[in-house]
Amino acid sequence: MTRCPACLGSFPEGDLSALAEHLVDRASESDSAHVRWLNQNVTRQKCEASELLPALEQLFAIGRGGLPGWIKGRFIAKFYGKAPHPFVVALQHPSRATLLGYVVEHQHFLRQWVRSCSFIMARTDERKVVLYELDNLNTEFGGLGPDRVAHYELLLRMGESLGVDRARVLSLEPLPATRRGIEGWNRIASEEPWVAALAAMHGLELIANRDLVNEGASMRYFDPEILEGSEITHEAKAFLREGYEADVAHSGEALDLVAEFARGRATIESVQSTFLRSIDLFDDYLMARLERGAQFEA
Amino acid sequence: MKRNFAGCAICDSTWGNVWEEVEGERMFFCCRLCATQFRTLIERIERETGWTTVEAVEISGDRRGRECVARSGSGSIRVVFSFTPEGELLRFVSHAVA
Repeated sequence: MTRCPACLGSFPEGDLSALAEHLVDRASESDSAHVRWLNQNVTRQKCEASELLPALEQLFAIGRGGLPGWIKGRFIAKFYGKAPHPFVVALQHPSRATLLGYVVEHQHFLRQWVRSCSFIMARTDERKVVLYELDNLNTEFGGLGPDRVAHYELLLRMGESLGVDRARVLSLEPLPATRRGIEGWNRIASEEPWVAALAAMHGLELIANRDLVNEGASMRYFDPEILEGSEITHEAKAFLREGYEADVAHSGEALDLVAEFARGRATIESVQSTFLRSIDLFDDYLMARLERGAQFEA
Repeated sequence: MKRNFAGCAICDSTWGNVWEEVEGERMFFCCRLCATQFRTLIERIERETGWTTVEAVEISGDRRGRECVARSGSGSIRVVFSFTPEGELLRFVSHAVA
């Protein structure tokens, strides 16, 4: 069914007119979530629902790249467009404070990641989806022995290499935007169709997909040169390199699964709006990494 | 206060319908968050400069990071700023404009 990308409200299948009416109504009440979504995704100029409709049709239109191509296009537009996300800009050649902001907020994100992926596994009957999630969880959180340490452990080691021990990292509560993200992703993973949750969560791994530059991204997640010299610690390199190596496969495989299992218009519409909601949460969450990093600036 | 936007004083959106008094003037904002941000920005500029009033602002950028040139009398200041999603100042870097 058609969903509102700002609040995930539901409308009849294919009824973008109802969505347009809803967005205009909520914006006229100055609801910041809906105003923000319109400002960032469609137009800053107030208009009638009938005028908004063609823009919504265009935004949700799936082109030759299919649903995976649409997801990548929206992701690039939001994070790697003409004005890339400030966290990505900061990560090109990161300061100690930027990396510590990453450590503190991301450990909360990764703990939610386990819950989200577990919900997907619990709610699907598809064996290949379960196997994908098991592999992902081992890479991200469980680890596969001392030679293949989990992303979560590498994150904590990066923090330690920058002078903040894991006990302190684990003692810090998430910032409000991170908390809101966690709550939003928990809701998506537990309540939306599992294939929509799959797209909403694993689509976020596009952030570190270095191949996006071949599809229009204005930069990579970080300048790969930092993996060479002595600009960042050995542990920071290990953490960033792991994502750099893993996320091309993680995000690519997930999008293939989404393309395979998002069957029927109602499910595809749900995938699209849930993904748009997820990247808005992620946008704020990346800002929270910078906000936390500012607390570590000398 | 002279502004460069016809819509919301901080983001130029014409959605929404929030009217709040800032510096003795009734201003339009698209949402409460923008009203809070604009008020915070003006208060911070006045605290930084010692001005009793801001006479003009020219704002550019987007919600992830904006720049503002503010004027009062013969004084000018350029500010690079951003807010948290909750509307608290995350960054505020000011330079006097020659």
